[in-house]
Amino acid sequence: MTSLRRLALAASLAGLGAVTAAGLAAPAAAQDKYKIFLSMSYIGNDWQAEAANMIKAMAQHRTMRDRVDLQVQVAGPNAQRQIQQINAMVQAGADAIVVFPISPTALNSVVRNACRKGVLVFAYDAEITEECAYNISIDQEEAGRVTAEWLVEKLGGKGNIVMVTGVPGTSVDTLRTRAAKEVFARHPGINIIAEAVGMWSQAVARTELSKILATRSWDDIDGLWMQVGCYTANAMQLEAGRSMDQLLPCAGEGSNGGRIQMLPRDTEVEGGECPYCPMNAPRISYASPPYSGALALKLAVAKLDGKDVPDPIVLPLPVVTNETVKYCKTGSWQEMAEGCNAFPPALVPNPGWFASIFSEQTPEVGFAAALVGQPEP
Amino acid sequence: MTARRREPDRAGRWRSRLRAHRGLIVAAAVLAALMILNDLMSPGPMSYFEVSFLSSGAATLAIAAAGQTLVVLSGGFDLSAGAVVSLVNVVLATVLPEGAASVPLAIAIGMGIGALSGAFNGFFVAVLRLQPIVVTLATMFILQGLTLFVMDKPGGSVPGALSEALTADAIPGVLPMPLVLIAAVILLWAWLKNTRLGIAIYATGSDHEAARAQGVRTGWVRFAVYLIAGATYGFAGVFISALTGAGDPLVGNPMLLQIFAAVVVGGTVLGGGRGGVTGSILGAYVLMIVVNILLVLNVSAYYSTVAEGAILILAALAGAFGRNARLRRSLRAGIRRLSAWRAGTLPGQGGRTVAPLTLPGPARGLPPLRLPPWHRRHAETIRHALPAYVCFVIVVVVTEFAIGQSAFSWGYVNSLLVLSSFLLILALGQGTVILTGGLDLSVPWVIGLCGILLTGMVNGQDAPLIHALPLVLGAGALAGLVNGIGVALLGLSPIVMTLAMNGILQGLALLYSQGTPAGYSAPLMRWFMTGKLAGVTPVVFLVILFVALSMALLSRTPFGRRVYGIGNGERVAMLSGINVNATLIGVYMLSGFCAALAGCLLTGFSGQASLGMGDEYLLPSIAVVVVGGTLITGGRGSYAGMVGGVLLLTALQTLLAGTTLPYAMRTILFGLVVLGAVVALRERNQ
Repeated sequence: MTSLRRLALAASLAGLGAVTAAGLAAPAAAQDKYKIFLSMSYIGNDWQAEAANMIKAMAQHRTMRDRVDLQVQVAGPNAQRQIQQINAMVQAGADAIVVFPISPTALNSVVRNACRKGVLVFAYDAEITEECAYNISIDQEEAGRVTAEWLVEKLGGKGNIVMVTGVPGTSVDTLRTRAAKEVFARHPGINIIAEAVGMWSQAVARTELSKILATRSWDDIDGLWMQVGCYTANAMQLEAGRSMDQLLPCAGEGSNGGRIQMLPRDTEVEGGECPYCPMNAPRISYASPPYSGALALKLAVAKLDGKDVPDPIVLPLPVVTNETVKYCKTGSWQEMAEGCNAFPPALVPNPGWFASIFSEQTPEVGFAAALVGQPEP
Repeated sequence: MTARRREPDRAGRWRSRLRAHRGLIVAAAVLAALMILNDLMSPGPMSYFEVSFLSSGAATLAIAAAGQTLVVLSGGFDLSAGAVVSLVNVVLATVLPEGAASVPLAIAIGMGIGALSGAFNGFFVAVLRLQPIVVTLATMFILQGLTLFVMDKPGGSVPGALSEALTADAIPGVLPMPLVLIAAVILLWAWLKNTRLGIAIYATGSDHEAARAQGVRTGWVRFAVYLIAGATYGFAGVFISALTGAGDPLVGNPMLLQIFAAVVVGGTVLGGGRGGVTGSILGAYVLMIVVNILLVLNVSAYYSTVAEGAILILAALAGAFGRNARLRRSLRAGIRRLSAWRAGTLPGQGGRTVAPLTLPGPARGLPPLRLPPWHRRHAETIRHALPAYVCFVIVVVVTEFAIGQSAFSWGYVNSLLVLSSFLLILALGQGTVILTGGLDLSVPWVIGLCGILLTGMVNGQDAPLIHALPLVLGAGALAGLVNGIGVALLGLSPIVMTLAMNGILQGLALLYSQGTPAGYSAPLMRWFMTGKLAGVTPVVFLVILFVALSMALLSRTPFGRRVYGIGNGERVAMLSGINVNATLIGVYMLSGFCAALAGCLLTGFSGQASLGMGDEYLLPSIAVVVVGGTLITGGRGSYAGMVGGVLLLTALQTLLAGTTLPYAMRTILFGLVVLGAVVALRERNQ
């Protein structure tokens, strides 16, 4: 390694100085902008892609685009690559790093190191336990508790339920599931008859529910607690020949498909066909909001400007029930500010798209930002 | 060694030495090139700080890859590497006391856990002579379960003394400690390589039977290899604990594919006998510095997996230009074929003229041939396929008693067949590839991309299916064609080629969908997967037809016989007149087609496509093939056995999903059942 390094140095000194100089000149020109890096984990799922869209839109907003130079990098599911990536970002002269942490603990020492070099680190959605990092996320235990309590109440304190959890071994899944189970344990009438690992994916939820239903029927089940998959569960009940009036109460999931299903059956909806249609499905809907990354970027810039930023930031849990669900006709900022939270299927062709995009703190990014990465004017 | 042996001249000796270390030299050159590129592109010269970071960042991967290299050299395969790293990490983060004494204790605990799991693998591989891939797959599941029992979410902490000792400076400002550790591993390897054990490892990996005949105790060699490899993974676990300072039950699992990539980039040949640890360590650093390169070049997120795949292929291609490399051979063969075609002769004919043979006429007067009874003719197939079916029946019986409503209910049988349909289709593709001695790791994103393409094209309508379905299936076959060309003509290792392909297809899927896949499955497809026709889900009919056709394809057609021929020995197959390259390309195209078909059915099942929808199917697609009695090195196996494997795995998952056992417990049970199913497959003592 050391000989290689010497080789590398020799090569760069011997006659290749011009290229090095060019390499140095580029960052110099952009010095008046804040250099901010985004380290994403895995890009291959709906939530990550949507959050990335919102962050990119935030950086493109008119208040930001002349001040922020944002570079997006993907680390994949491997924590060590993220460690390497954050190090490389520090080396590349980052002012701040916005990160979706693959692991809340594995990044601690590299983040500490970044802080020591004066680089701000903002983590969104999941947290980093190292103290110098700013964390922006919802309270996962509250999410598990609130949804479980809703289900217990809906069932009148007794019944057979099926749980579909997230990715085992992650903090988010463990905290949510544990909090929900504590609630269920307090109600002896509630009986968990099956528990499956849903990996936060509609497709996996479908497979796992099919496995459970291979040995049971919908009549054996009174309610569902799922982190992702209520949309799919309703679709499966309809396929199995149950009517819309017989849909089981389902706690969980913040996808647009699920929100549309919650609307009263006579709601006029643009586009979409069943099961992506209003069916008055009994539901409490929640999810980690995908705007958290955009907010992290905004706060990072505020902190670089010398303003005070609170830490940690616990985002309000975006809970929607049948009483509060409201259809958006266009998805304009004004409409969302007035409380709409379910978007037209004609504009959101993917029912797995996450609908909790509104925050008063981020007027820069709205519907178009989450969908295609376009900031609000 | 006689004194009269002619001494090769100096230049010749150098040449042969260069040839022997080709892979290593190429890996070193690639690493040097990437480091120079990185240095030129980043502001300022490379500082000590940077070197120290680079050295610690890839050290875990490098150490784990070193262990894996030993296994691969001996002709084995170890899937439990990442799981050992995770287990050691969480144990250390839970039990280690504060203080200086923690360093030797941590190393002892870590390497001890690793050695134990290695001994477990070694026992089943060496003593019971089971296939390494399935043993280590089962170990992986068991270890993952244990890891979640120790720690169900990230947390805990590792004493600072450990980080200080392993990741800080050996000589402040001059030499970072990770480099010292890596150097120590290389020195140990240099010593081991020349011991009797080291030579025995190469001998066992090159030719197991020949090594045995020479008196090498191959059983012990294999056991020792798994033991040492396990301890090495354990040490990698200690290092990552020092690096991160805390525990995370998922930290090691995603390393697995990278470990294999590092081994292959470093010039070690899967299948055994050639390569070395030093190359794998360089390979690990190549893979990690790619992260920095992507950053300094500011490669956009959607393109990053594409760029990575391209780098992987280029690095492997650089090693494929030797005189006897496959690419050269294919070129030579192509030229010979062309000139023979021009001259109107056969390629093997040369300048000679061929006198036609006079064949004797059909024999007369012989008694009619009496075939032995069916079960005798197929004794081998039955012996290898039966265990999966026996275990399947046991699982169904257990389901009946534990949950009820199973074996005698049509609903259960129907659901089981629908859920099996994806794996049954994937098993044909993956199984055929494995029968030729390859492996197809591009399955996940062929499924993902094809599902996304199909829903995008049909967008909830039935009419476009007529052109969309053939197009999408063709796209899958096309991806397979590229895989096949890489493997057959360019001579790339199947693991490297298909792993790179997987990344490239992921990039394409992201670019096509812009991050959010649009559209729904056609109503017809949805009905096909979830509707009912006379109480039966329509896909069940397809499954039955598919299974019948697949069995016929592999056992009754020339294509099938060529596949087995190649798996039993490529060279022999070539000399027997099989067009090896064309067959290999056909095999990968079949796998691409099958993955595309599975992707289409999955969209019908789910109603829409999603990114990453194929991720869950890679390991199962390999597992069912091997559990069904197929030899991972190729040449032996049957589709009937794979069907048994699919039914067993699906029934087992269905049983576990119907319970409320904790996930950790389920993973362990799953691993144990897989292991139990293959114990009956042990090789006979020859």
